[in-house]
Amino acid sequence: MDFITALDMGASALSAERTHINIISMNLANAKTTRTQDGGPYRRRSVVMESIPVDLSFKKQMEGALDKELRGVHVQSIAVDQRPHKLVYEPSHPDANADGYVAYPDINVVEEMAALMTSQRGYEANVTTVDTIKQMYNKALEINR
Amino acid sequence: MKSLFDSDIGLVGKVLDMQLQRQNVVTSNMANIKTPGYRARTLKFEDDLQAALGLDAKGKMSLTDHKHMPMVFDAEGFGPEWNKAFKPRIVHGEDRVDLDKEMATMAKTNLHYSALTTVIRSKFEGLKQIITEGQK
Repeated sequence: MDFITALDMGASALSAERTHINIISMNLANAKTTRTQDGGPYRRRSVVMESIPVDLSFKKQMEGALDKELRGVHVQSIAVDQRPHKLVYEPSHPDANADGYVAYPDINVVEEMAALMTSQRGYEANVTTVDTIKQMYNKALEINR
Repeated sequence: MKSLFDSDIGLVGKVLDMQLQRQNVVTSNMANIKTPGYRARTLKFEDDLQAALGLDAKGKMSLTDHKHMPMVFDAEGFGPEWNKAFKPRIVHGEDRVDLDKEMATMAKTNLHYSALTTVIRSKFEGLKQIITEGQK
């Protein structure tokens, strides 16, 4: 039950949202990538978020019953989307197959933009919580002024 | 218990703590807004606090006859014991996190907190004034 717990949780959420935004940027940047290290065209990635207890070993010993319910968040894993590739007829492309079709990653710009906006809103919401905690902290300091 | 600081300074301090804890719960909900399977949590303490302070008028006898003795507010009961009887709890909701609801709770908590800091500050200023006026 302190201010630092709230800041820790806010920071974990900001970090997770930032990772998600990075992944979305990666998807958009690689929308036309046909060659990767694993071979074949790029595959779309998405994040899996998981809630985690706010644990710092010292704090864990000191925490009360109420603090056990508080959760931060982290990116548990980055999932590879297994949707099929999009075939485009481009016979002159070096990666075209025997029929003249090139397999591009199936990345939908609208879908990515929607995810980007959701992440941005999530980020802003968490910035607001951190701001509110800071205001409350300042109010607590003003008691003794 | 008589002391320099009356018991409601302790009470205001406790409620400040509870409001901070509520803010922590809101932060926890906000952080997990996109976590699959996470259900929003809320902190319930007002009813329990009133029960601990004996202000909720539950379990009290009612006057059904004019010969009954009227009940009076017992200042002795309003002591530090309420702190032991007071059990705040976090309730697990059944819905996903609602951003608007959490924002509203957060704004409310922030206002409550500011108001309570003003209250506790004016209490301390009153004490300070008594001390400085008394030495003149």
